[in-house]
Amino acid sequence: MAIAAESIDRRPRLVRADGPEKVTGTALYTADLRMTGMLAAKFLFAEVAHARITRLDVSGARLVPGVFAVLTAADLPDVRYSAGVADRTLFARDVVRFEGEVVAAVAAVTDEAARRAIDAIIVDYEPLAIVDDPEAARADDAPLVHPHWADYESDPSLVRHGNVAAFSSIARGDVDAGMAQADVVVAGRYVADGSHAAPIEPRAVVARWEGEKVTIWTSSQVPFAARDGVCETLRLPTNRVRVIVPHLGGGFGGKCGFHFEPHVAALARAARRPVKLVFTRREEFIAPDRRRESMIIEITTGVNNDGTIVARRGHVILDNGAYIADAAFFPQLAAMHVAGPYVIPNIEISAELVYTNHQPSGSVRAPTAPQTTWARESHTDEVAAAVGLDPVEFRLLNAVDTAKIGPTGQTYDEIGLIECIRRAADSAGWGRPLPDDEAIGVAIGWWPSFPVASGAYVKLDSDGAGQIITGAQECGTGAVMTLRRLAADELGMQPDDFQIVGQDTAVAPYDVGATGSQTLFNNGRAVVAAAGQVAEQLRNLAADRLEASAADIVLDSGVAHVAGTPDRNVSIIELAAIAARGELLIGHGSGQPPATPEISGTTCVGDQGMAAWVAPQFSCHAVRVKLDRDTGVVRVLEVDAVHDSGTIINHLGAVGQVEGGVMMGVGQALSEGTVYGDGRQRNAALLEYKLQTAADSPTVRTQFVEIATEGAGPRGAKGLAEAPNVATAGAVANAIARLTGERLRRLPMTPERVWEVMG
Amino acid sequence: MTRTFDLEVNGVAYPLTIDPGRSLLSVLRGEIGLTGTKEGCDDCECGACMVLIDGQPVNSCSLLAAQAEGRSVTTIEGIIDGDRLSEIQAGLLDEGGVQCGFCTPGMIISATALFARNPDPTPDEIRVGLSGNLCRCTGYGRIIEALAVDGVGRADRPAESGS
Ligand code: FES
Ligand code: FES
Repeated sequence: MAIAAESIDRRPRLVRADGPEKVTGTALYTADLRMTGMLAAKFLFAEVAHARITRLDVSGARLVPGVFAVLTAADLPDVRYSAGVADRTLFARDVVRFEGEVVAAVAAVTDEAARRAIDAIIVDYEPLAIVDDPEAARADDAPLVHPHWADYESDPSLVRHGNVAAFSSIARGDVDAGMAQADVVVAGRYVADGSHAAPIEPRAVVARWEGEKVTIWTSSQVPFAARDGVCETLRLPTNRVRVIVPHLGGGFGGKCGFHFEPHVAALARAARRPVKLVFTRREEFIAPDRRRESMIIEITTGVNNDGTIVARRGHVILDNGAYIADAAFFPQLAAMHVAGPYVIPNIEISAELVYTNHQPSGSVRAPTAPQTTWARESHTDEVAAAVGLDPVEFRLLNAVDTAKIGPTGQTYDEIGLIECIRRAADSAGWGRPLPDDEAIGVAIGWWPSFPVASGAYVKLDSDGAGQIITGAQECGTGAVMTLRRLAADELGMQPDDFQIVGQDTAVAPYDVGATGSQTLFNNGRAVVAAAGQVAEQLRNLAADRLEASAADIVLDSGVAHVAGTPDRNVSIIELAAIAARGELLIGHGSGQPPATPEISGTTCVGDQGMAAWVAPQFSCHAVRVKLDRDTGVVRVLEVDAVHDSGTIINHLGAVGQVEGGVMMGVGQALSEGTVYGDGRQRNAALLEYKLQTAADSPTVRTQFVEIATEGAGPRGAKGLAEAPNVATAGAVANAIARLTGERLRRLPMTPERVWEVMG
Repeated sequence: MTRTFDLEVNGVAYPLTIDPGRSLLSVLRGEIGLTGTKEGCDDCECGACMVLIDGQPVNSCSLLAAQAEGRSVTTIEGIIDGDRLSEIQAGLLDEGGVQCGFCTPGMIISATALFARNPDPTPDEIRVGLSGNLCRCTGYGRIIEALAVDGVGRADRPAESGS
């Protein structure tokens, strides 16, 4: 039984603490930093998809006036890295495997000198067969992206072979028997193009050495992972590398992992000067090893005439690109989304992450979910139609709910998916008459909360002003800003009484960073624990002062008073002054992450721990679209987004996450897709890779089904930032299909493609 | 080869000796040290670098600094009124129109120009008016909401408030 949700959203709005500097232009981002003697860095990228380096001569670059350092693989320790499979080096060694691979780097007094030095490098290539099609790349005789794949160090839990970097499957029940017993079997194949995180800030890195220690300022979502990557590749202990993140101009997963911090640190060491790298927009498109992978998704579902789903079989091929980055768990995550938040007694779903000569794929906001959910929810409407059921009715009949058993044998505590579907359908006016060029589509989605270790300190100084010193990283979501509310409530103070100190690996305890929608979920727990220690100190001091028992002291509105007698009180400011002369008010917290729930009856091959989800989040999106039948142009007019993300602590921030996620989903649905030719991106510019603009933006109505979830984050909060980017494209697809009659099974659903299916 | 001239930015004349091929964006950020103007693409596609030139919104990556000679340039640093946020700045902040903040300077410049032309825009006029400014974080909803709210009652306030 869940505890009742507090209606926190009726309290005064939590205006973000970093807002004033952001609206006045005084907020400093990494590219804004300037240091005495600072040099400009520039990289030489492969610019070919697959080739052997037959000659690499940098001597000309060293002669260019103003050049201080030129580096290639020969200048650095021979370290292979990456999570899961050590398939990557900082600089290309012998072979380049995608166009954005770094071949050499220079540091020079000006951008212009750095560019001239890059132009002076001679590199000759012998072309190798380009592995362009992940489906064909699985064949036994296909050319290998990594001929020595079997020699790479790798996580023993991964199932790998040839170009298949990771295979996973989830099976439960008896699919053959289920299909045989089903009244109707429906099958579909769906193909999604890759896409990009495309933060508006291109990445930047500054590095400066002092003696044996390096400080790196970087536009990273994950400063501790960036630090650890530098330590691993340059062979340094963690206490000699300090990573600081200035204001961060968005990430969406694209700035997770570590990318170019070690290159810049190595340049700065060689040049004996601070060095700054700033990517151009094109480099931001082609070079990072985080992009959303293209996919081929096949789903077959057996259903009874009464609408109950009895069995599902599925297979997914994910384009991994040239290196694994953090994608090792993607196959199993994709399989979970092909199953979806439905009660299905018999499933058998497998997925393969396949090497190609494309840009490496990696975590982009809700990795694997928008594409797989688009496919599965398209398929769900097709299955509903096959048994003559209304799509909303069909989902209400089959969706997971409190106390029901999900497709991988997880039994759910109180969850709000059914309520999400009802509210989205109601608010959108499902079933109402519409003009004949408009239709409403619905889709549902789910996403896990990730329980991981996280730390924070809280201190009150002599004037009673508070600081939260946290490892958490703010990437724009406002999650870190929300920590102030948690600390304030613990101490009977106001959010404005606290400043956030962080984004500095030398100052704050560890946090995994702005990744996995987990900042409030895990760092919130740490802050509550740290503030709780300070609260304990304050209660003891007040008990002394008021001659009462510490257990009877209440902290409220900046005052400590004796329970029941508010007049017997002392202000927190006074207590802080007392503490400043004795034992200081300092708390530290981490707390135990919630445990992963049990599942039953499920067999996984290549298990990456993705079949059981802590505090799963649910959503239903209903979208109304308008189709121009002459051009195939689709416009999204309205979106109803209803989410169960547990308790909502910062309502304004939460609405912002949903609206931003929905808009990204609209982009994926209609316009965002990477076009490849000869293994190279043909639309690596904002003119050709179309993000949605304000003129395209629909009215979004956001609602939360708030359930204070046990075994979740602070106050029963689950994660939120990725969940809104799950269901939108599927809902758009279902609305389009109602207008076109024929189903479009390609993503994005561009005007040309829509027009083609209209015939 | 260099060129020497004065560039007026936020009411201050800056004497410059620069390569005449440099963009206004590069000179604002690199020479004058006003880094509030952001570079998102250097290709006239994102609006992060937007400034006002004689009151008109312009992507500063799209013209040479020398082309702004004799004209008056306003950057985000020049929008604040003394120590008070403009209504647009305060509105964006209060309504959740700011997330990572990287598009925000350009967005505020764009909105400032929009309101100068049309003091009472409809939500659709706001959508069109801001269509040259890409934002990846907000989905534009809170931004449009902030600007569509009737300006009355949203008094100017000190820049420090809300922190
Ligand atoms: S930097 Fe000028 S429009 Fe993008
Ligand atoms: S607030 Fe991040 S791009 Fe607009």
